[in-house]
Amino acid sequence: MRLDFLHVDRLLRGHFTRPDDLARGEIDVPTRTLALAAALLGASYGAFMGLYGALRPGHASALQVFASAVKVPLLFLLTLLVAFPSLYVLSALADSRLSARDTLRLLLCAIATNLALLASFGPVTAFFTLSTQSYAFMVVLDVFFFATSGLVGLVFLRRALNHVFRGIDAQPAPTAAPLHVTTEPNTPGGTGLPPALAPAPMPTSPSRPRAPKPRARAIFTVWILIYAVVGAQMGWILRPFIGTPEREFTWFRERGSNFFEAFFKALGQLFS
Amino acid sequence: MTRARPIGPRATRAGALGAFVERAGDVGALLRGEGEHAPDAERVPWSSLCALAFTSALLHGAVVGSFGMRPMQSAFSAVKLPLLLALSTLLCLPNFYAVNAVLGLRDDFRAALRAVLAAQATVAVALLSEAPLVLLAYASTTSYPFAIVANGACFALASACGQVVLGRHYRRLVEKDPRHALARRAWLVLYVFVAIQLAWMLRPFVGDPGLATRFFRAEPFSNAYVVVLRTVAALFSGRG
Repeated sequence: MRLDFLHVDRLLRGHFTRPDDLARGEIDVPTRTLALAAALLGASYGAFMGLYGALRPGHASALQVFASAVKVPLLFLLTLLVAFPSLYVLSALADSRLSARDTLRLLLCAIATNLALLASFGPVTAFFTLSTQSYAFMVVLDVFFFATSGLVGLVFLRRALNHVFRGIDAQPAPTAAPLHVTTEPNTPGGTGLPPALAPAPMPTSPSRPRAPKPRARAIFTVWILIYAVVGAQMGWILRPFIGTPEREFTWFRERGSNFFEAFFKALGQLFS
Repeated sequence: MTRARPIGPRATRAGALGAFVERAGDVGALLRGEGEHAPDAERVPWSSLCALAFTSALLHGAVVGSFGMRPMQSAFSAVKLPLLLALSTLLCLPNFYAVNAVLGLRDDFRAALRAVLAAQATVAVALLSEAPLVLLAYASTTSYPFAIVANGACFALASACGQVVLGRHYRRLVEKDPRHALARRAWLVLYVFVAIQLAWMLRPFVGDPGLATRFFRAEPFSNAYVVVLRTVAALFSGRG
């Protein structure tokens, strides 16, 4: 246990994601330990989150504490599992040097960072749970804490990706050798234009033509988009986390509807 | 760091899944354009590209057809998705050759064909990587239109991935002769035109749970573009 949290401490200090290692496409992380630490951190916040269900005015059930403690880590790890193949394919297409395993490690680091921060909000959630009756307030508070810690996880990921793609820029392009063809302007295969009028060849600098920053940014944007959509929907499937006072304790609510339908329905109700 | 992975012996006898597992190490190379999948590699990995495209499309098709939890629909879709990729490519290849020849690019046709195949394989691999997303969407809704939209979004993303790889191969070709850009555009326009109609003919892929499971829809083959035009016309005549 003690060792786990030592690793978390090292993670938060950025010892696993040194710029030079990332630029080489290497991430040296004790994967299992980190996954376990992430699960424990998530579970601790989940327990605080489910406290409301155990103390709520109606249908109080201590099971909610246990259910939420299981569901919060599950939410993050299942989201990672579902989104990972697409995330890997997209980053590989952008010439990321991270192998599938290293990409998974990097995402795990981001999630552990996210969960560490979320867990640190746990006592505050517990404090408000004990001092408030309002379900709506608790929902807003929890969403706020998830969003804040999520944002920190994103900043972590963003920095790491910048280093990863900076490494690519420093690397000479592996495909610098031209096609084995002699380009004579007046052969049928050529452009038929005198050399001066022929289109200028691409600059043959040793570095790749595209700057690393836009690429890192594009990958980051798409990753966030996929991850956020999957995460939102996964959260919807795994609900309830807090436990509304109006209903009995259930492990899961009924299947059907989805985060986006519900969201747009709520929006429609706001404006009608 | 060793970047070019050694490729194992072909596993055609082990069946589609065996071949896929064998080729799984290829995926990284295909996506990054490395090793035998580098645009300038000497040998063109035809069999590897076809195996990757076929098995990925097959597996993703099975996932797409699982919406109504009907094994037959899954099996039909698993057959139809590789069929869609292969047939639409084959139908457009003669024209692609002709366009390349007319533009004086015949000498590079091998490289162009390889670019197209690599792009198709990438589309299939990207589709398969989105299979968990499709399953998540299925797990969270009973709405058929939502399932269609989710699949549509996945197809769009996978097609964009295919374009990235096509672009990587064509960057070198266009450097050599700018007319390759025109050939690429011609390919894209014709391919999209044909693929939409073929997808329309091969539907259903997802399978409306309210309808019986069939390989093709009960109605006779129709033209997707005519259907769309008629719908638009009906819309206007109905309102005007």
